[in-house]
Amino acid sequence: MRRLVSAWVWVLVIGAAVGGGGATYAADEYAYDLVHSSVSFKARHLDISWIHGRFNEVDGKFSIDREDPTKSTFELTIKADSVDTANKARDEHLRQPDYFDTKQFPTIEFKSKSTKPIKGGYEVTGDFTMHGATKKITLVLMGGKEHEFKGGVKRVAFSTELKLKRSDYGFDKSAIGPIGDEAIIMIDCEGMRK
Amino acid sequence: MPDPLLFLKSMGAAAIVSAMFVLAMAWRRPASSVWLNSVCVLAMGLGLALGCDMLAVRWTWPPVKALDRFLMIVVPMALGIELLAELQGMPRWVARFLRASLAATTPRILLHGSVYLSGAGNHWTRWEAGTALVLCGVLLAGAWGLLLWLSQRSGGISIPLALGLTTHCAGVTVMLAGYLRGGGTAFPLAATIVATVIAAKLITMRSDTPAKFDSPAIIGVGVIGLFGVLMIGQFFGRLSTGCALTLLLIPLLCWTTEVPFLRHRKPWLVGSVRLVLVAIPLLVVLAVAKRDFYRNMAPLLGDLPRHATK
Repeated sequence: MRRLVSAWVWVLVIGAAVGGGGATYAADEYAYDLVHSSVSFKARHLDISWIHGRFNEVDGKFSIDREDPTKSTFELTIKADSVDTANKARDEHLRQPDYFDTKQFPTIEFKSKSTKPIKGGYEVTGDFTMHGATKKITLVLMGGKEHEFKGGVKRVAFSTELKLKRSDYGFDKSAIGPIGDEAIIMIDCEGMRK
Repeated sequence: MPDPLLFLKSMGAAAIVSAMFVLAMAWRRPASSVWLNSVCVLAMGLGLALGCDMLAVRWTWPPVKALDRFLMIVVPMALGIELLAELQGMPRWVARFLRASLAATTPRILLHGSVYLSGAGNHWTRWEAGTALVLCGVLLAGAWGLLLWLSQRSGGISIPLALGLTTHCAGVTVMLAGYLRGGGTAFPLAATIVATVIAAKLITMRSDTPAKFDSPAIIGVGVIGLFGVLMIGQFFGRLSTGCALTLLLIPLLCWTTEVPFLRHRKPWLVGSVRLVLVAIPLLVVLAVAKRDFYRNMAPLLGDLPRHATK
């Protein structure tokens, strides 16, 4: 009987240590909220104007560790097929292998590798994969303020802008022609958790 | 935007290199059929490599796009198999087995890593993917086998010429469907097929040469090339299944001349009838592709809105 009580005490102590410790240092996990977020882009057309577009299907998650921000992680997955430039013919053209090649490369992804806190946000370095090519990039995520609804739903939001050259990601140089090589991607994302 | 001059240069380079290579390698010595076929295979490889290089094809390994896999795996495999098949003492069944293996694996190689096989985007189930791969393999093997059989029965340069013509047309159709690079690759391929055939024919026309014009190697590379362009255009571009199937089957119209009424006519007449029979549906396919292009791409071509003044 004494042994049994002793064993139970040990189980409780270890359980409390593991469980409690986990609760103390666990980062907050947020799911990407598609309704209040957007991933849009713009690229030069004939070097005289800008074409704007967006991706309608995006998924992702991020974990924010307030105590040790370097442990925070960010992931974003964009469905390349969901490109939308408000013109069906152009969207269909952009899905072709000369551009996004969505049948071969269905997603555009970002996965963070390291995070550094900066004033007003985070500097996140990670792998950006598009069109079958992966490159290390650094995003400056501004924001991170939290808002809590009555039901206990917490929200946090970040914004960033990213400049990239399509030719760096294996896009066909001959198809770059009228649409500029450089594209600017604007990401405004809101995450939520209960 | 496509640069027509670049495509012309690529076709010209591919044709000149292929033809010069065949003439240089087979002109001086009395060429046997085996030697001539082997030279033709190498000439097509050289011509296609140069033509694609002029189109700035990226030769990066591993090939991640279907077109890269086609140019860097499938075409070299076809060239290698045709070269092996020409080796003296090579049993016929080995050549057939190698060709059948290539026909069976080509669809799998081209679709590798795509949404069709990876399951991403809920495109196909495993069962659907398997069925599609088998169907594509059977179609390729069927077209290849029938053209080889016809070539053995009645030969002539009209069969590879019909393949070259169809490959060129397939390239234009894939381009009009919106895939510029994929369609463009067909041009040097078509040019090298036609140039190699004509050069090989010139060699066999010499009185001192024992070689008889027989073109299994050219037909093999031509069928694989045509199939590759069409499959990439259909699965990765916007070429319709009906159009791709029609283009793959059009060279089989050469079989029409096997009817008793035409079969024993003069070779030039049989060849001309074959080319005309192939050219007519190709023109129809091109007309439909052009109509669809203007219908689908008109908003991108910069047409002025109705209220704007010209």
